[in-house]
Amino acid sequence: MAVLDVRDVAKSFRIPDVHRTTVREHALALFRPRRFRDLRVLDGVTFQLARGETLAIMGRNGCGKSTLLKIIAGIYAAERGHVVRNAGITPILELGLGWNPELDAVDNVYLMGAVLGLTLGEIRAGMDDILAFAELRPFASLKLQHYSSGMAARLAYAVAFHAVREVLVLDEIFAVGDVGFIMRCQERYRALSAAGHAVLLVSHDPRIVTTFCHRAILLEAGTIVMDDTPERVCKEYLRLVTGAR
Amino acid sequence: MSVTRSEALSPAAVSGLVWTLVRTDFKTRYQPTVGGFVWALLKPFAMFLVLMAVFSFIFGGDPAYRFHLIIGLFLWDFFAEATKHGLVSLQAKSYLINKAKFPAWVLVISAASNALITLGVVCVAIVVFLAVGGRAPGPLACGLFLLYLVQYILIVTGFSLAASVLFLRYRDLNQLWDVAIQAGFFVAPIVYPLSIIPERFHFFLYLWPPTPIIQFARAVLVEGTIPTARAHAFLAIETLVILAIGLWVFRVLAPRAAEYL
Repeated sequence: MAVLDVRDVAKSFRIPDVHRTTVREHALALFRPRRFRDLRVLDGVTFQLARGETLAIMGRNGCGKSTLLKIIAGIYAAERGHVVRNAGITPILELGLGWNPELDAVDNVYLMGAVLGLTLGEIRAGMDDILAFAELRPFASLKLQHYSSGMAARLAYAVAFHAVREVLVLDEIFAVGDVGFIMRCQERYRALSAAGHAVLLVSHDPRIVTTFCHRAILLEAGTIVMDDTPERVCKEYLRLVTGAR
Repeated sequence: MSVTRSEALSPAAVSGLVWTLVRTDFKTRYQPTVGGFVWALLKPFAMFLVLMAVFSFIFGGDPAYRFHLIIGLFLWDFFAEATKHGLVSLQAKSYLINKAKFPAWVLVISAASNALITLGVVCVAIVVFLAVGGRAPGPLACGLFLLYLVQYILIVTGFSLAASVLFLRYRDLNQLWDVAIQAGFFVAPIVYPLSIIPERFHFFLYLWPPTPIIQFARAVLVEGTIPTARAHAFLAIETLVILAIGLWVFRVLAPRAAEYL
């Protein structure tokens, strides 16, 4: 059974001809109704993700990748179709989501872990591992505002890896930092994959897609135009973005 | 439409998230300042001293005026602070709603937490103030006061739930609410006794939620009287109506909150 079953998902946004965002604007234009047009972002998207599979979603900017991930994560509601989640999902759509530069590393681990769905007990139990993986034990009581961007990103990765449930959903996020840290991230990632975790990954980088993914999907104007091996999809994606024939 | 089989956060994860948001918010707000949490208490205390100095010339004939004033002011301060923070709660943490999946009400509840902590401390201060003034409230009075506080919190929760999602669509609601709060300070009988207003207007003043809470709290804590069963029923209905409307508006609008950010 697929851990994730996306069936005929469609999504539109209603775009008004005039934006009114205040009570005052609505009151002043009470008798001037707005016209709306539907902007179709996704249409008939169907695919399955199997246990242990790593699937990449590629596509040009504005093709609907992020909207699709948000629907899968449950942040947006689909207009039509179904997303059947047969396993726990950890969506990481932004690295270090929720962190606060005025707090130290320990408090930020609590904050980021809680946002990713960990219980306080799980965070407490994993604190040493998280700080060790991020190589930040000596700086645990230092406020995040004094960290370099690389150190902060390492902490965010360490929490994210600790919070992984059965399915990991990643939006344009892959290892940053020095070579040693990138290698450790890749090792941890391969271990997760070997342990049966499924990954849904949005990326523009053919190297990442061909190295880590079993399968890839090419999204164009809100529909799936190709579902094939990473190599073939990367080739088609490059042809699309460069306009080559 | 989405179907979830094992994706929802466990109650332990949700309570952990609320606790973490409250704790870190409290830490960020008060830790960097000299005196920390004392600043949160200083505002209503300073207001009390100023208003006491000014209005005691007018209402000085009433020996209980200072007790009425401190109860009114502190309870009002909670209402004003908690509703203001509740209203902007989803917008203030929009980066979370737009990128993570968890119940949005968690943000609304945790936003009012600082006002709630302050309320807890000032309630103790009110009881101490009354005891020092020779009007120590009994267990029944304290119990009823607690009941009114619970209803007060439910009213603020109902308002905050509705206002937080409406604010994402109407971005000047916070300015309108600021005006309402300023006017509301004088609609509620905080600095003046309700008795100076003609009785035929009392019903309308009681529709403004802080009025019954403040009046009932004064009755049980200062006057030693218990409001009638009818008055209690009025407050219970007002609480339920506000909470029900708040829950309904939130339930309808919250699922699409992320699309308005």
